[in-house]
Amino acid sequence: MAALPMKRAGWFLISLLCFAAMLVAWKLAADAKLINPLWFPGPDRSFSKLWEWISSGSLWSPLAQTVWRMFAGWLLACGVGITLGAAIASSAFARRLLQPSAEFLRPLPASAILPPAILVLGFSDAMIVFVVAFGCVWPVLLGAIHGFGNLDQRLGEVSRLLNLSSWQRAWKFQLPNALPDVFAGMRVSISIALIVTVASEMLSSQPGIGYLMLVAARAFRSADIFAGIIVLGVLGFLTNYVTQKLEDRLLRWR
Amino acid sequence: MLEAQSLSVAFGAQTILREVSFSVAEREFVCLVGPSGCGKTTLLRALAGLAPISSGRAVFKEQEVRGPQTELAVVFQDYGRALLPWRTVAGNVALALEARGIPRSEQSARIAPLLEKMHLTQHADKFPSQLSGGMQQRLQIARCLAQEPQVLLMDEPFGSLDAITRQELQDEVARLAKEERRTVVFVTHDLEEAIYLGDRVIALAANPGRIAEIVDIELARPRNQLATREDPRFLQYRHRLYKHLGH
Amino acid sequence: MGAVLPVVVLALWEMLSRAEVLSEDGFSRPSRFVVAGAKALADGTLLEQTAQTFAAATEALLIAAVAGIAIGAILGLFKPLERAAQLTIDALRPIPSVALIPLSLLLFGFSRNMSAAVAAFACFWPILLVTISAVRGVDGRLIEVGRLLGFSFARIIVKFALPAALPGILVGIRVSAGIAIVVTVTTEIVTNPRGLGFAMTMAAQSLQADLVWATLMWVGVIGWLVNWSLERLERRWLRYR
Repeated sequence: MAALPMKRAGWFLISLLCFAAMLVAWKLAADAKLINPLWFPGPDRSFSKLWEWISSGSLWSPLAQTVWRMFAGWLLACGVGITLGAAIASSAFARRLLQPSAEFLRPLPASAILPPAILVLGFSDAMIVFVVAFGCVWPVLLGAIHGFGNLDQRLGEVSRLLNLSSWQRAWKFQLPNALPDVFAGMRVSISIALIVTVASEMLSSQPGIGYLMLVAARAFRSADIFAGIIVLGVLGFLTNYVTQKLEDRLLRWR
Repeated sequence: MLEAQSLSVAFGAQTILREVSFSVAEREFVCLVGPSGCGKTTLLRALAGLAPISSGRAVFKEQEVRGPQTELAVVFQDYGRALLPWRTVAGNVALALEARGIPRSEQSARIAPLLEKMHLTQHADKFPSQLSGGMQQRLQIARCLAQEPQVLLMDEPFGSLDAITRQELQDEVARLAKEERRTVVFVTHDLEEAIYLGDRVIALAANPGRIAEIVDIELARPRNQLATREDPRFLQYRHRLYKHLGH
Repeated sequence: MGAVLPVVVLALWEMLSRAEVLSEDGFSRPSRFVVAGAKALADGTLLEQTAQTFAAATEALLIAAVAGIAIGAILGLFKPLERAAQLTIDALRPIPSVALIPLSLLLFGFSRNMSAAVAAFACFWPILLVTISAVRGVDGRLIEVGRLLGFSFARIIVKFALPAALPGILVGIRVSAGIAIVVTVTTEIVTNPRGLGFAMTMAAQSLQADLVWATLMWVGVIGWLVNWSLERLERRWLRYR
């Protein structure tokens, strides 16, 4: 940004005010009882419920469950996606054989795997981690196939001119070259991981934030629902932020 | 040192080069000029082992060139694509040293003088994307020098640069070639550049690519951008070779 | 060539199931679920459920498109407004759409509107962001030409800005269409109002493995078809590029 720091701070304050205005509007709408307060609490009730969760410690266990499942599935998918992708990229034959199937499976909603997975694996953590991994693997896999398979022709010639061994070529040229595409895939799939984890928890009634919120819905505890939305929003924001920062740091050469 | 022996390159029905023969002696600075499409880049790539030869051969130190090798370093015109964007300036130069198996401990001692020679010392920790075109090309040359090649093959290296940077780099390359006592084969479409830099200029004709004329350049070294280019003999060479550029 | 892998997988599946290596209860087998799928297609249930899912997804996409393009155009044209809204957008966007399912259940009960609301939230953001950047990216020169020709501001938007921004916006809509299907099916799986997700969960609950896998295959085909046809549509409309 070319703006001076002062100007940036100024705009940040204005957007903060705008956000605060939204919260005020929310409060006014709730107070005016436009929608039944049973279903639609104001920000004060929502935030105080959230505070209650934090101070009583009842937030941490379900949150930890959600987070560990999300990361376990995502890491599993990244490991599989990257190694498989690198292997597939190295052979044109493998690409033609496997890439169409990967492209076909990409638009499949990961949650659609839940019913079959429940039939096969039952209601368990392993089932959720598997479903999350299934949903996350496609962006990473396709990113890896693209990244590992697309070394600039000129760079390929440079590596031949330098007489590099194929191991050196893979480590010094193909891997760094693949990183941008792989990271893009990893970034997309972590958003998928959060969604699929919460959806799985809701469906399979496994302890976690998702289940917590669904139970609250059935009991008409709307403040709990909103508190849960805030928690998940923060979780989503943090995961996006951290992955973006990591990516910027590792790829700062761009 | 480096020779083309009846070198022919054809792609399918199209003949790019037909029976090109010439030799380059050690420490000679030879320039290849010609109109666009005359195959001068293909010829350079064939000498480097990067282009398949249909008949005849390229010979380096009495051995047939069958593929790329570190002794024949290539400086490409599209420098942006020939540098590793994820490594710093120092890292890119280090690549050539790593390829030669030089241990980490010795690398910095070798990198520093090369960077200094190419005026890149203060940019050592920058990434190629942060450098200007001229600096990136200097970096590519530094990396090629780190290979300690016997021959530098340069493919229109200054074609994408502005006039001022081009002149600076011309003088630098000329100086380097003499100081490091390297053999250089330099491809360009710029006739004046060829005459300015070369000990010998080989003019190629197009369709199919073949040698039109070879001229020895007897101009004093070190060359000077103003004085040499105004030298009457410079102009004579220019007149002589002008017709081969398709005019 | 790409068909080799699926065929091999299906063949292996069939063999392993018959050999009782894969349990029939959970895994079913291709010969069975193809039959189950054909039956569901024939008696119309599968198609009815597909129509329900599509109805919800379309509703979601329309809401998201209207809101996203309108707000996106305004924010794109007036940079100060966009800057002011930045924090609000950054705070609301990371909320995973599924987090809104319980809320939507409370507000709309088990209905098509419930799934549509959740999916609309998910689809809104890509369309909003893409519209902002597409409108922002309209060449200033083009607008100048509009003004020189004497068009009113509203006319300029309609005749110059929106058509120029259209390619970018269409890409956003294509992406959102895929999201609409995915989120709708997800919502249906979790809450079972109606539609394909509902079908799958019901089948799972009654332990009808054949129907579960058959519906899954169908969902896969539908998802791929939607994606493919949208890409082709986009290419045709934007042929001039």
